[in-house]
Amino acid sequence: MEILKYILKRILQTIPLLIIVSLISFFIIRLSPVDPLAELKLNPSVSKETLQRETERLGLDKPIIVQYGKWAKAFLRGDLGITSNGEQVSAKLKERIPNTLLLTVIVIFLSWSVGVPLGVIAAVNWKSPLDRILTVLTSIGMAIPSFFLAVLLLILAVKTGWFPVGGLTSSNFMDMSFSQKVIDVTRHLILPVTVLFTLSLAGLQRQMRANLLDVLDSDYVKFARAKGVGEFSVIYKHALRNAVNPMITLLGFEFAGLLSGAALTEYVFQYPGLGRLILEAVLKSDINLVMASLMMGAIMLVVGNLIADILLIITDPRIRQKNGGQA
Amino acid sequence: MKRIFYIIITLSIIIFVTKACIKQDIPQPEITVLRPKTQITDVEYPADQKNVSISGSDYLQSQAPVGSFGGTLVASTIGEGPKTFNPFNSKDNISSLMSDIMYDGLLTTHPLTGQPIPKLAKSFEIENHTDYIIHLRKGINWSDGKPITADDVVFTWKDIIFGGYGNTSIRDSVIIDGELPRVYKIDNYTVKFVTPKPFAPFVSLLSAPIAPKHVFEPAVKKGRAYFDTFLSTNSDPKIFVTSGAFRLQEYVPAQRVVFARNPNYYMINTQNKKLPYLNKLVYLIVGDVNNEVLKFEGGELDVIGLQGANVARFKELEKHSDFTVYNIGPDTGTMYLAMNLNTRRNDEGKFYVDPIKQIWFQDKNFRTAVDYAIDRKNMVLNIANGLAQPLFTAESLNSIFLNKNLPTYQRDLYKSKELLKKSGFYWDKSGKLFDKFGHRVEFNLVTNAGNTEREAIGVMVKQDLEDLGMKVNFKPIEFNSLVNKLVSTLDWDMVIMGFTGSPLEPNGGKNVWLSDGTLHVFNMRLEKDMNSKRFDFENRIDYLFTQGALETDFHERKKFYDEYQEIVYNEKPMIYIYSPLRIYAIRNKFKNVFPTSLGGITYNLEEIFISKGGN
Repeated sequence: MEILKYILKRILQTIPLLIIVSLISFFIIRLSPVDPLAELKLNPSVSKETLQRETERLGLDKPIIVQYGKWAKAFLRGDLGITSNGEQVSAKLKERIPNTLLLTVIVIFLSWSVGVPLGVIAAVNWKSPLDRILTVLTSIGMAIPSFFLAVLLLILAVKTGWFPVGGLTSSNFMDMSFSQKVIDVTRHLILPVTVLFTLSLAGLQRQMRANLLDVLDSDYVKFARAKGVGEFSVIYKHALRNAVNPMITLLGFEFAGLLSGAALTEYVFQYPGLGRLILEAVLKSDINLVMASLMMGAIMLVVGNLIADILLIITDPRIRQKNGGQA
Repeated sequence: MKRIFYIIITLSIIIFVTKACIKQDIPQPEITVLRPKTQITDVEYPADQKNVSISGSDYLQSQAPVGSFGGTLVASTIGEGPKTFNPFNSKDNISSLMSDIMYDGLLTTHPLTGQPIPKLAKSFEIENHTDYIIHLRKGINWSDGKPITADDVVFTWKDIIFGGYGNTSIRDSVIIDGELPRVYKIDNYTVKFVTPKPFAPFVSLLSAPIAPKHVFEPAVKKGRAYFDTFLSTNSDPKIFVTSGAFRLQEYVPAQRVVFARNPNYYMINTQNKKLPYLNKLVYLIVGDVNNEVLKFEGGELDVIGLQGANVARFKELEKHSDFTVYNIGPDTGTMYLAMNLNTRRNDEGKFYVDPIKQIWFQDKNFRTAVDYAIDRKNMVLNIANGLAQPLFTAESLNSIFLNKNLPTYQRDLYKSKELLKKSGFYWDKSGKLFDKFGHRVEFNLVTNAGNTEREAIGVMVKQDLEDLGMKVNFKPIEFNSLVNKLVSTLDWDMVIMGFTGSPLEPNGGKNVWLSDGTLHVFNMRLEKDMNSKRFDFENRIDYLFTQGALETDFHERKKFYDEYQEIVYNEKPMIYIYSPLRIYAIRNKFKNVFPTSLGGITYNLEEIFISKGGN
């Protein structure tokens, strides 16, 4: 019951936040000097009538505040509007969301299932050669910019021919059997996943290691050890539980990154994901598409934080207590 | 001891890193620029396609060598991919390309001569300069087996195009004095178009795609809003009924468009087998040029358009690779330098152009001096890697209307200075240029930021003009602001821009050249200024463009456009710079590749086949 009340409160808090986000982004896009019709205006074969029609169709002849009002009204009804090419924004997003999810879910799954254990191992074997090696590797991973690593891997793909150069499926994908399709998609995914995995693994491993080291240094761990509790039990039962809290907050942010995240990597690998779509939309000032993606990002961030908070309530009795106390 | 060790290690790392940089500073040995020959060589073109009747069906027979069936050609498009597959809705090049593959027009242009030739039509005649009689092929079918008849043609023109459905650019350009042409069905296989007045560009518009009535009619009946979404990129490929060599098989957003062979296509080879040879045609959608090049090198692409530095590299690779590089001549776009000839005032009573500068820009001697000061050859060599041709005319170099009598010339500073002196300009001791009223010659030059080619040209123009003692403030500005300056606020002095052109139809440039055109950049008239005074040469160009559109005989017509090019050449409202060359690479396994300057490299997709025995 307390939790439900808390969730409701949090959801209500997000409403003004979303309104402010939408207002700021709408006005910034519209006030930027990008004219969605500039290309058409400079094409000798486009008639004045066509330009006039396009202006009216995109609603550019009305003041910004009216445009915003129209957009907000439609958004509330669940209508994301149409792109500057006349396609449904929702259909456009639907095409891309599965691809982006496929990539990000794999990356998050891999980096968490590898990064967290590696962090624990490094912390437990603090200052051992293994820890040192991991430190060097993760430092490298954090230092390489994602687009640079992506370009390096692309060159590898071209030179060796082991991997396809970007994309998600081969051109004869439709004629393949199911198992061939799985192999084809896997081959295409290896490089982008490697890039994103390297980056997020490094961060996660460092974070986990630092958290656990902090906890291992605390008094209650020393006390447990002094009491003669077994080392295994000290680390995995007492220390790890306390060290994992900041990681849960981090998980909330990762959730927000599910649908945005990797525009640069997607662009270099020509991956048909949301990041590329949105990048192109921003460059063309395709307002409905940009707004839809920004709102999606904001909502995902809010939801991610909410999930993290709920998880924290479940894992951390202290927070549970505090909330209970307030209510 | 340990510390010394660390210092040595750090130092050696620094040395290694800087070593790499030092090497860069040493001048590299001169790279020889490999320039492909300026014309397409060693291509033997097959004879023209013929009409052949076999058991009541009128086929189009390719005269190219007979090839083997099967295989896939993978090409690419840069950008976001098609926005619609409806040929009447397309507003961008990629969408038009996709629909051109699927829907044939009545006529097409001859890839070598640029003259209209029948395609979906069997033949056509023009009578009295206004009547276009089109004979259709008998016994040819849509991809779903239904016959292609006069009803489809009449429906397409009368209901879709003249009805104002979709993109109305064709309709807008055939309105002659407020009146649309009329279209009549004579019998099942004959259609007649009548234009209210003789109108030469009409024949090239007959290459517009023809829609299957039985598929498009229901969509038209549902109204314009529905038609705008009809055959969008979300449509099921199965509902496409086409007349072209291929039909849509699959569209994967942001990845590729796959076309499959149309088994009912009306073109046959000399053994009377139905074309096309290829089973599939794939267009990969790639985000940028670099990725496209990588994909070609990785073997995922079969044909690619090349630019700049890549050309030299590919030419080098060509020797031991499986592709051939073709140079198909100058591009259809034109790059120009224009001065603002505007003498009017804006709403606040202020001059668009500073009156002091107006005197210079209005002076033909000044414009000519600028023209002679520009070193086109140097720009071609340094900016376009030698892969371009200097341009002196308003029509592009591969245009069939190009006026070939206008001589080209070299940079001539002496001549420039003579011309300036004639108009009373003088130089002070330090070489600065002043006009006869003692004003320092200083103006702004703008172009769009982000276009590295135009920015480079801007820098070189600035240097060239500074040799004349002018002070040029070169400012690349953001594309949208630039367009706004050019078409609305009009507060600019000199600009470097480019227009796309058509090598077949000069009338497409009427928005630029008519004195009330929407893109009459060098002397743009806004709504309120429509009746302002014209220059004599503007009046003459207005006349030439109006008359040129009315004349249907090619040679008679060319005289009008020759004269307009000559006027622009002499008056120099726009100073043309250069046209880049178009270079393509295609894999050797593809045969029947006959690149032409007008058609490009894969215009004859029906005839292209993959040779079985390697090379």
